[in-house]
Amino acid sequence: MNVILAVKQYVSKMIEESGPGMKVLLMDKDTTTYVSMVYAKSEILQKEVYLFENIDSGASRESMKHLKCITFLRPTQENVQLLASELKSPKYGLYYIYFSNVISKQDVKILAEADDQEVVREVQEFYGDYIAVNPHLYSFNLIGCAQSLAWSKPVLTRTAQGLAAVLLSLKKCPFIRYQNSSEMARTLAESVKQIIIKEAGLFEFRKTDVTPVLLILDRRDDAVSPLLNQWTYQAMVHELLGIENSKINLSNVPNISKDLKEVLLSAEHDEFYAENMYLNFGEMGTNIQKLMDEFQKTSKNHTKVESIQDMKNFIENYPQFKKMSGTVSKHVTVVSELSRQVGLYYLQDVSELEQEIACHNDHSAQLQRIKSFFTNDKIRPKDLLRLVMLYALRYETHTNNDLAGLVDSLKRRGVSEDKRSLVHAVLEYGGKRARGSDLFGNSDPSAITKRIMKGLKGVENVYTQHQPLLSSTLDQLIRGKLREASYPYLGTSQLKDRPQDIIVFMIGGCTFEESKAVHMLNRNTPGVKIVLGGSSIHNSDR
Amino acid sequence: MADTGNIMEGFLCPMCMKDFGTVSQLQEHFEVAHSSEDKAVFQSLKGFFDKAKKRILGDRENEFGENSSSDSSPNLNLSGFDPTWWEFQELGCVRNHTDAFKAVRDARIDHFVVETNKLLIRLDKLLDPEAPKEASKRKGFEKSVVPWVPDGAVPCCLSCEESFNIMRRKHHCRLCGGIMCNKCSEFLTLTYARKFFVFTEYFLALIVNPAVTFEGESGFLKRSDSSTSLNSLMGLEAEGHMRVCKTCRKLLERRDQMVEQRNIKPNFVVLYEKMQECMSNANDLIPQYLPMVDSLSMGEATYSLKEAELLRTKLIRLYDAVDQISKKIQNLEIKPDSPSAFKQQQLQKAIRMSASGFMQENLMGLQALPTSEQYQELQAKRRAEVQRKIAAERQAAMEAQNRERFNQEESEKPGKILSIGKKLGHVRNDSQDSVGRGWKPTEEGSKVSKVGDPMLQQMEIIRGYIKQAREAKRWDEMEMLEHNLKDLKDEYYRQQAQNFQS
Repeated sequence: MNVILAVKQYVSKMIEESGPGMKVLLMDKDTTTYVSMVYAKSEILQKEVYLFENIDSGASRESMKHLKCITFLRPTQENVQLLASELKSPKYGLYYIYFSNVISKQDVKILAEADDQEVVREVQEFYGDYIAVNPHLYSFNLIGCAQSLAWSKPVLTRTAQGLAAVLLSLKKCPFIRYQNSSEMARTLAESVKQIIIKEAGLFEFRKTDVTPVLLILDRRDDAVSPLLNQWTYQAMVHELLGIENSKINLSNVPNISKDLKEVLLSAEHDEFYAENMYLNFGEMGTNIQKLMDEFQKTSKNHTKVESIQDMKNFIENYPQFKKMSGTVSKHVTVVSELSRQVGLYYLQDVSELEQEIACHNDHSAQLQRIKSFFTNDKIRPKDLLRLVMLYALRYETHTNNDLAGLVDSLKRRGVSEDKRSLVHAVLEYGGKRARGSDLFGNSDPSAITKRIMKGLKGVENVYTQHQPLLSSTLDQLIRGKLREASYPYLGTSQLKDRPQDIIVFMIGGCTFEESKAVHMLNRNTPGVKIVLGGSSIHNSDR
Repeated sequence: MADTGNIMEGFLCPMCMKDFGTVSQLQEHFEVAHSSEDKAVFQSLKGFFDKAKKRILGDRENEFGENSSSDSSPNLNLSGFDPTWWEFQELGCVRNHTDAFKAVRDARIDHFVVETNKLLIRLDKLLDPEAPKEASKRKGFEKSVVPWVPDGAVPCCLSCEESFNIMRRKHHCRLCGGIMCNKCSEFLTLTYARKFFVFTEYFLALIVNPAVTFEGESGFLKRSDSSTSLNSLMGLEAEGHMRVCKTCRKLLERRDQMVEQRNIKPNFVVLYEKMQECMSNANDLIPQYLPMVDSLSMGEATYSLKEAELLRTKLIRLYDAVDQISKKIQNLEIKPDSPSAFKQQQLQKAIRMSASGFMQENLMGLQALPTSEQYQELQAKRRAEVQRKIAAERQAAMEAQNRERFNQEESEKPGKILSIGKKLGHVRNDSQDSVGRGWKPTEEGSKVSKVGDPMLQQMEIIRGYIKQAREAKRWDEMEMLEHNLKDLKDEYYRQQAQNFQS
């Protein structure tokens, strides 16, 4: 189960079906991101796709009859209308139309009636209707998916469609399990089920031994994970710099050179990144240093290109070298910016306390430390706010909790009213009442013993103590021990064996920490494949 | 993990963790290290890539190895790769609506086609040179070809829905016989009308001489609203125009466009197709060439050197053609006033980009052939190597035989020795076979022989780099490259002189 590969194969197939000749790819805003996540521009150029157009720009586009047009759109009403008017006065020679999701017969008819010049060759549904971030991670980039803690209709439809597309592109027809404590999870589960029933013909796949599982979770069950500072490379970059469709914007970095203003981080095309994306910052630094050492060593060892042989080697390696030096300078820049921010804002101290709060129960000492952070001017109000939110979640019911005092201190540090209200919002969102399972492991005796065992072994790394709730949920699921009361099946059929293919969806977005956890589970449990997804991918900025 | 903790503490500089404490120092150091990295380019690259690559690849293998052996420390070895990711995966589900689409469309299109054909047949008749020219008879003739809708049948213009009166008179479309007002009439020039029947000749002329442009390009005259008197209109008609309605005009134009699209190929499309042809030819040749190089540079005699050289020249010529054509495409002149000027430019640039990507991928990786002297040397080496191997094999076989015989003598009757000897003979054959199989050309081997590349070509490549470096404003790199070029030139002239002397 590889979502990147799934989308990529769809795109390749489209290009293939249109045959040889110059091509233009006509997309909408969403599909543009889908495609750009899986195909590099240089790669797609090699397949004779030379132009990329947006369907919105209809009027301003120019007529080029010698091009074949591959159209890849979401089947929205708006897109169908735009495409119909495009077909009435076609700008390209031939059209190959692909929709990223189920399209109604009615819409097909509208298009067919518009095509009086017979330019359309294909009309198909290719279910690549999501953003494939990593092979095991997808997202819909929907921010603010809930209104007053319930679904808004269009977002629900979009999410259900997206999930159906994920299932179809991976050819899975799953049992659906959802988080019982969440109304939203149940609604979504039902919507997906409805699509599966309605399009039963599509979901007829060859039976696998073990039916896959779609597990729908709600972020409200674990509001803590997105509040923590992360120390793995990918997660850190997202937290501190922000990854948007695998691009990061470095233009705010002081003294940045011009060609590094915006860099692309993609595990598909960047070996070093793929190697290191889940490594801790420290290890990552060591690797970068190794790489740099190689450079320096060669500069010392060798004097000059003298023989023809040397020159030949030089020429053969030069393009490769340019690529590599580009990679290295990119990562060095990113890492040095990360460490600059870490140093500047005392993120290590902050993170240590965050982990403390998330994992240990020691109210007074932690309260003291939070208070002492308020006196440090270097620590960003944003980080303080996060600490207070964590504190609020952790000690919501603690008798001596001093939330009011902390919120007051936030006010003195100039945190706006809007932001301060977030503290209470987060309580409402992910507070005790909203949670269905035991996030902090207070009552479950086995969890307590586990913690004590951990305490005896000594903490491995103070910055990565926290394990997202998702890993234990998945762990239970894999071992077939996930409680049915908390995560019921939709419908009557149930899985008897241990699940092998698991598709997870997190309402309200997932984090790169969870992505890493899933990656590790995939690596360490043979036979089990997990794909994780979320409405979006969080960093603490929300 | 404890280590990591330490690193974290001092970890303000990604490269020299021990030495730097503050941000500014780090930045400074980074500049230095970065520039030294650039220096590394100039100094030398020999072997570096292999090293780095091996390191990375090696690391990865190690990681996998460790992980499979022990999962105790997943954190330490967590690379972004998962070997199961790139397993074969079926193409996801698809659903095809094309048939449903075509069913709806064809029903509509049929109507268009029938209508258009009817119009064309009528047009052909109307254009008949023997038809009466004078206005009075003409009308009768037209009516005989196309049944006109009787005047009384329509109270208002079918297109603008204004009612007819003294000022707004009724007019008939000469093609469908429908009625419309003067304002809604279109005028088809006769020259344009004839084009439908002579287009083959017209396009032939176009191909022979692209400068020929068709006179009545627009094909239709729109009557100017203000100053049209009846007379001038009559005049118009007499000059070779035909009154038609809007629907007929649309149908004719549509037909015209389709024909044109089928028959005209812009110059640049022709060029592009040529380029694609070269590319695919080259791609066809490559799989023939590569095993040749590998085999030859191992000193094997499976292929003849001459044949390989021929193939190489052919390949290079093809690549050269791709390069030339793509350049030409990029520099094709675009009429600045043409409506698609901007996009066209983008398109041409993109084509050039993809072509240079193609070149980089293929030409740079095109392995050189050994020169004939080197080839002989290699052959000799290989013979020696093979002999050595065979000797070693024989030795090993002998030893094995001895050992086995010893064992045999220990345990079994001597009568069986003969059969064992036979068996051993088999064993030896097998092992020799496996030597042959194991003797695959490796990357290392072929690298050794890459000395005698055609120098001119290299110089060309260096020139390309110089240009790139100049564009990137990397002056020191450029200087270094220029130096290289000069050395190369000297060497080249020296060799030329030598050749001349001998």
